[in-house]
Amino acid sequence: MTLLDIKNLNLAMTSYEGETQILHGIDLKIERGEIWGMVGETGSGKSLTGLSVSRLIPSPPGRYLAGSIEFQGRDVLKATDKDMRALRGRHIGMIFQDPTTNLNPAFRIGTQLVDVALHAGSADPSVLGLVKGASRSELKKAARRVAVDMLDKVGIPKATERIDDYPHQFSGGMRQRVLIAMAMIGKPDLLIADEPTTALDVSVQAQILRLIHDLVQERNIGVLLITHNLGVVAQVSSHVAVMYRGRILEAGPVGDVLKRPKNSYTQALLNSVPTTHTKRGELKGLNGLVPEVSA
Amino acid sequence: MTQTEQTMSVAIPNRNQSARLENWSRAFYRFRQSWLSIIGLTIVIALIVIAVIAPWIVPYPEHVVGGTNTGAQFQPPSANAWFGTNALGQDMFSLVLVGSQVSLFSGMAVVFIAIVFGTIVGAIAGYFGGWIDEVLMRLTDLLLTIPSLILAMAVAAALGTGVWNMIIAISITWWPAYARLVRGEVIVKKEEQFVVAAHALGANWVRILGKHILPNIVSPIVIKASLDMGFAILTVASLGFVGIGVKPPTPEWGTLLSGARSYMPDYWWTAVAPGTAIFLAVLAFNLLGDGLRDVLDPKARR
Amino acid sequence: MLLYILRRLILLLPVLFGLTLLLFIVARILPGDPVGLAAGPNATPELIAQMRSELGMDLPLPVQYWNYLTGLVSGDWGMSVFTRRPVVADIMEYLPATIELVFASLLIAVVIGIPLGLLTAVHKNGALDYITRTVALGGIAMPRFFLGLLLQMAFAAWLDILPLSGRYPLIESPPDHVTGLYTLDALIAGDWYAFQVALSHLALPAIAMALSPLATIMRMMRASTIEVLQQDYVMTERALGLSNHLILFKYVLKNAMTSTLTVIGLYVSWLLGGTVLVETVFDWPGLGLYATQAILTQDFMPVIGVTLVIAIIYLITMLIVDLLYGVFNPKVRYA
Repeated sequence: MTLLDIKNLNLAMTSYEGETQILHGIDLKIERGEIWGMVGETGSGKSLTGLSVSRLIPSPPGRYLAGSIEFQGRDVLKATDKDMRALRGRHIGMIFQDPTTNLNPAFRIGTQLVDVALHAGSADPSVLGLVKGASRSELKKAARRVAVDMLDKVGIPKATERIDDYPHQFSGGMRQRVLIAMAMIGKPDLLIADEPTTALDVSVQAQILRLIHDLVQERNIGVLLITHNLGVVAQVSSHVAVMYRGRILEAGPVGDVLKRPKNSYTQALLNSVPTTHTKRGELKGLNGLVPEVSA
Repeated sequence: MTQTEQTMSVAIPNRNQSARLENWSRAFYRFRQSWLSIIGLTIVIALIVIAVIAPWIVPYPEHVVGGTNTGAQFQPPSANAWFGTNALGQDMFSLVLVGSQVSLFSGMAVVFIAIVFGTIVGAIAGYFGGWIDEVLMRLTDLLLTIPSLILAMAVAAALGTGVWNMIIAISITWWPAYARLVRGEVIVKKEEQFVVAAHALGANWVRILGKHILPNIVSPIVIKASLDMGFAILTVASLGFVGIGVKPPTPEWGTLLSGARSYMPDYWWTAVAPGTAIFLAVLAFNLLGDGLRDVLDPKARR
Repeated sequence: MLLYILRRLILLLPVLFGLTLLLFIVARILPGDPVGLAAGPNATPELIAQMRSELGMDLPLPVQYWNYLTGLVSGDWGMSVFTRRPVVADIMEYLPATIELVFASLLIAVVIGIPLGLLTAVHKNGALDYITRTVALGGIAMPRFFLGLLLQMAFAAWLDILPLSGRYPLIESPPDHVTGLYTLDALIAGDWYAFQVALSHLALPAIAMALSPLATIMRMMRASTIEVLQQDYVMTERALGLSNHLILFKYVLKNAMTSTLTVIGLYVSWLLGGTVLVETVFDWPGLGLYATQAILTQDFMPVIGVTLVIAIIYLITMLIVDLLYGVFNPKVRYA
């Protein structure tokens, strides 16, 4: 079964200027084992697409005009709140851009990790390595064990001690790893990463991307990696979709799209990336700005 | 197929007003949006007008200067006496109306004196820093540790009865908060470029403070003053209630309320009238203060 | 952490020293003659002079201050000219009543205000929100003493379901003295009847005092919660499936508490200093009444004593608030 099948997604957002359509007929299919990079400039609608999969866009101001998002065969847009909460953290994991603001500063990272693990484990104890009917305290102990393991797996040294630390005691790269741990601890089938490396420096970026890549290999999950950075896409994705103003202009295996782009926008994006041969003064940008939609 | 955007030529629009005036008119517009603030403003204006002309418009002017009419004591509210009469047969409506004079005037005086004194202390402390700052701020903090009502009561009682003694007493407890506020603002402003420039041009500290810094910190002072006014009036009434401050026959809402205690609950109007007046005045000033803060305080912008 | 507390407590001493000095100077500067007042209108000058020297008030000022200071430390806070008793004894008698009142009011304000603030932030502009915001506006503007009177009229006089005044019926004896707080003492003694009686007397005064802090705490909590709900980490918590209930009452609550904590600290001073207004209405024998009586008779030793007690309680409260900041915001922990 296709992991994620977005068909003809049309989304409109209301702001004080009225309703504007943001997404126009988005079609996207993600299978297990695929890392789909979603590239586009700021304002192209990529983040909103990602948020839609988890139904994280509140109904005012968002309104879906047409289309469906089928996750493992079930249309997410028709699901209830309860259903969505069952999916989130457990089957769909999500990480966002800024590791500094995405961890609750008043709580130890262990607390937050354990809560996510418990949420996933209460529906399916096998996630924590237990069988159905396990007691509350057993669940808690297992959740903590799983949390330490996860921290270790994402590369946090001395996980057993650091699990009781606060977010401000970690560096930016470490915090993003913690967030990845939180997203993966429920053993999701799909990971949505919205600009996960944008706030990090290049060397850390490479480590995070490798981490995501390894996770995909190990667990055969699907990944939707949203970014404006073509370099990131080239490094780690298996497929890429190019977005512009709410439409997917081009999509396909990463090699095909990046080496033989069919769309001139894609070509222009590729041309704007400086290479070691680019001479001074030769930077090629794209004219104009993506029109602003205030929502 | 190339995506080119037209460059828009934006003309600088003609303005009829200066920028500062436009800022104010925009502020008034935002103020008008909140109907609670308008209500507050209306009641405040009404109260001020009443306080000014009260002695001339009251139905029974003789009652407010001590005249009694014991034959008509404890009349419930009626067409003759809208708020009824008290133990001495005096018309409650007249008393409450004239009582607004003391309450409003005293409240405003307190805030005004606190602003003046607090600004001087705070500005000097903030501008000069060093040991002057230390000494002044220690004193301010000390005053803030003392419970203000008790201090005000003690000073007022010691100074004796009378409106001005009461005002001075309350002002003593009111100025420290303004001093801290002004000090904080001055410390921030004195590092700004325009102050450094003025200094380089040879302006002395009086000029820098008076002409450059203080006009730029009017906003938070106004916000605090408007939010404070209601509580100043409340404090005046509290002192009156406890029996410190003005003495009869000068009507004051707090003293009126205190005198009415013994006649509860049968002659409830003797207490409800002045009490509601206090409540209304404080409420109106609070609404006005909230409205001003929403308009003037950049941080409160939603 | 312990060192920090110790350091703060030691730093209290210069503050208190400055306070006593300031109070002493203010008391002596102000016009008024308590001895003359206490001696009465018929006293002869010799009698007054004798009283004055008995009370040590004919000594030079610095000596008086030094005596006072040493006395403070050793537990002698001077004599009340009016009651002719040591100030310490008077304070010990009246303090528990005030503490009980302040504590009950604070409890009401916090227990109702904080959850209301949370809920109205989540259901912004709903019916509950409009009602509570209106009541809050009124609550802050309502004078404590007027509210007390109204409550008295409504519940004691007209409905007759709560007592009119006092802490305990005169014809009965209050529970055995452990803390001096009748409600607490009743609970300690396991005397359910006494607890109910004491509580019924405490109810109206506490409500009269609690309305204003309740309103402000609620508004503050609402504003902080609205701000917190817009934070990125709340979005992450939601994206990972945590229930709204968990997010609000475990996570957001803690994040939003800091500003509310400041408000609570400030209100302790307001409550402590202003109990007199409600004590007058309900004949509640607390420090407020004691201080006011001392003020009206220009008896300044009790006034200084009461002010010092309240200041000490306030300063310790601020210390606790500062420590609690560390609980709610780990970045400011004092290791």
